[in-house]
Amino acid sequence: MEKLIEILENLQPDVDYLTTEDLIDGRYLDSLTILSLVAEIEEEFDVEIPTVEIIPSNFNSAKKIYELIERLKEE
Amino acid sequence: MNYFDLTYAFLFLPIVIIIYNIMPKKIRPAILLLASFLFFFMISKFLIIFLLLSIVSIYMGARKMGSLDKKKNELLEVASKEDKKEIKDAYRKKKKSILILVILFNITFLFVFKYLKFFTVNANFLLDCMKVGWRFQILKLIAPIGISFYTLQALSYVIDVYNEKIEADKNFLRVALFLSFFPQIMEGPIARYSETAKSLYERVRVNYHNLCFGYQRILYGFFKKFVIADRLNVVVGKVFENYTCYSGAAIACAIIAYTIMLYMEFSGTMDVVIGTGEIFNVKLPENFRQPFFAKNISEFWTRWHISLGAWFKDYIFYPVSLSKPMKKLTIKARKTLGNHFGPLISGAVALFAVWFLNGLWHGAGWTFLFYGLYQFTLILGGNLLEPFIKTVCIKLKINRQNLVYRILQSVKMTMFVFIGELFFRAPTLAVGFGMLKRLFTKFQLSAITNGELFSLGMDKKDVLIVFLALVFIFIISLLREKKINIRESISKKNVFIRWFIYYAFILAIIIFGAYGPGYIPVDPIYADF
Amino acid sequence: MKNFLKSILFLIILAVLVEGISFLFIPGNNIKKYGLYKVSAYDILAEDTDTIDVIAVGDSLIYSSLSPMVIWNQLGYTVFDCAEPAQIIPDTLDYLKVAIESQHPKIILMEANVLFRDPSKKKTETIITKRIKNRIPIIKYHDNWKKYISYGSKKNWINYYKGYKFITKVKPSKPKKYMSGSKKSREIPKGNIEYFEQILELCKENNTKLVLVSFPTQLTWSSKKHNAIQQLSEKYELEFVDLNLVDLGINWETDTKDSGGHLNYLGAKKVSEYIGTYLQNTNLLQDHRDEKKYASWHKAYQMYLKKYQKTLNKN
Repeated sequence: MEKLIEILENLQPDVDYLTTEDLIDGRYLDSLTILSLVAEIEEEFDVEIPTVEIIPSNFNSAKKIYELIERLKEE
Repeated sequence: MNYFDLTYAFLFLPIVIIIYNIMPKKIRPAILLLASFLFFFMISKFLIIFLLLSIVSIYMGARKMGSLDKKKNELLEVASKEDKKEIKDAYRKKKKSILILVILFNITFLFVFKYLKFFTVNANFLLDCMKVGWRFQILKLIAPIGISFYTLQALSYVIDVYNEKIEADKNFLRVALFLSFFPQIMEGPIARYSETAKSLYERVRVNYHNLCFGYQRILYGFFKKFVIADRLNVVVGKVFENYTCYSGAAIACAIIAYTIMLYMEFSGTMDVVIGTGEIFNVKLPENFRQPFFAKNISEFWTRWHISLGAWFKDYIFYPVSLSKPMKKLTIKARKTLGNHFGPLISGAVALFAVWFLNGLWHGAGWTFLFYGLYQFTLILGGNLLEPFIKTVCIKLKINRQNLVYRILQSVKMTMFVFIGELFFRAPTLAVGFGMLKRLFTKFQLSAITNGELFSLGMDKKDVLIVFLALVFIFIISLLREKKINIRESISKKNVFIRWFIYYAFILAIIIFGAYGPGYIPVDPIYADF
Repeated sequence: MKNFLKSILFLIILAVLVEGISFLFIPGNNIKKYGLYKVSAYDILAEDTDTIDVIAVGDSLIYSSLSPMVIWNQLGYTVFDCAEPAQIIPDTLDYLKVAIESQHPKIILMEANVLFRDPSKKKTETIITKRIKNRIPIIKYHDNWKKYISYGSKKNWINYYKGYKFITKVKPSKPKKYMSGSKKSREIPKGNIEYFEQILELCKENNTKLVLVSFPTQLTWSSKKHNAIQQLSEKYELEFVDLNLVDLGINWETDTKDSGGHLNYLGAKKVSEYIGTYLQNTNLLQDHRDEKKYASWHKAYQMYLKKYQKTLNKN
């Protein structure tokens, strides 16, 4: 989780990732940032995020992103 | 018929509502579907066959993919771990061929109706250049209404089924209604199956609350269209048709007027459309979210024609930028170019695809392609410059959340939008550039004093009305941006105040609407796309 | 049920409001005498009784081609255009009946193209819109809020176009030979002749001279139509002026608003001057320019002139 927050803060520093729950719907992360994020996550956590999973509900908060990573790891 | 015809809101719609309400619950969706087909038929007559073909194709394609999924899951349950991957791959392939078939089937219609002419005209031009004596025959086709909108909606359904995001619907009626619901069919919003299909089939009676709220929203759309858009239309038409007769100042006015008109016309249509949905308790997705409050072009496109942008993002941008070769490219590029610029390469490729197709979607023509590439350049440019601007701001100690900075950002963005929409409206690229050139070379401030500006089709009183109406829209937008729900707070007021507001609003539309002699109403702009 | 009654009440109050507010927007003068309904549909009722010499009836070709103010300035005759888009002949008759209630024109100019329009083919939608417009005057006169701002009170409103529509738009066409010289003639729908005879009857009763006129248009007029009207006019011993065959000096590059379909203000000036001379040659009309009763026409002309010159300077 900490690693993830670090990645996020690197990409877009002006957001409090522990509390914000509308990263996508609130337009904190735009689509190009998402690309970087996906690349970073795939490298750091050694998972593969399929396109289908790139939906707001999976990326709206750091917690949600982390859950996604965990789920993908299990598969 | 279009959504601003009085016969739509005050004849067609009431009749549909009454029949819908008195019919037993079971057949209500069929009533909506019949009304939708009737609406389509009134505009496009027997071209309705193409809508029906699209419906049947996506229904059957999705069902077939659904049954493949079912078989696959049955096999997976009993299969050993090694076989699982093989089964998955085999079924994926089968599904993919169905998906491609359905997509091609639907795209072919779109291509024939919308792009064939453009391609034959340009091919003929090439043939002429090469001095080949032979030319293609140019077919004159009238497209079924809304084909660009419902085709995208149809594709999203089959792709979502393919990706197992949603299940293939067994109910043919529901799929048909999802694709042809009459308020949406002409100009969108391009909804997803997961957003509207369920509520379209809920079959609840039209109740008093929904009726009032729906018609309120429709009236708001009327206000935007009749009071503002139609009033600006004369000026826009005049200057764009004969721009060489006008000074730079007049051209500047026409360019600004066009963007406002486009916004008011399209978002006003959406108010009528979404209001109609509201009456039937169907929550259609919003297509506009105060676009001119955006801080840059990239954000603008997440607030203007939202459903189209979202479609391109989900079905073009991510699939392209996250495809296997692109991902490899991203990882490599990040190592050499760093975290900001690395992913930008695959992003740029995908972005290019999005804006190329976006331009093409609006119509086959060089102006639209240019328009798409213009947006692409601005968005990419903004992203490339971002780290630079950031450092400058830090060095100069500029707070980027500062209100003044934010306003300046929005103003700059609005200027870019004006120029983009200029090419959107210009009949040819040459006219677009000609107008831009004139704007800067023939700009005389005397246009304000010599009365040129008031001779374009709007007198001082018209300008005053447009100004006041825009202030009104601005205040409402501001409240919405701050997430203050004015409609709820009005509905809580007592009946006298409430009715007074409604009456004032209705009378304002009747009196200050720009209709009758001297005015030319705007034709539905997006219905042509 | 409660909500249903509430909705009904809402609509009733709305109807009353719209009806009431209409009074503020219709032009003054004759309302009491002839009733709201008619005033809203027929501009001519706002003119003083027995002041109009010539009434021109017909479709859009009338209000785009014939400018009464030009004739007033030239000869001091009072002309009024009673025209509406795509007029059908039953409406022409109605229009004349209403106009004659308060006016005793010496000459009626009837636009010939109306005779070819089949009334049964008129769109139901246009008929409905027309009815609504006549029922709810504010729909037609809503734009008069501008006059309130300019003149303050309603008494001073002057209709300075007299039914004419000042069209400034230019959409060029080329000189075309649209009068082919064909010997054939186009058929006039049967029912239209009956209406035409009623119009003739009406003119006879009122001792008014009826003249058939066809105004310059490259799109809707032809030799076949000319021949049909020529035969008709011979049969009923009427004068027929076909301006499509007269050299008026129309420049189709600058004088049309829609590529030859209708004239704009430049073309209208040429047509109106010609019609003025024609009216003069009938020896039926008097110059009213020195009469006190017609003072408002001078005022109207000044306003018209201002508009004309402004437009001319701009183009």
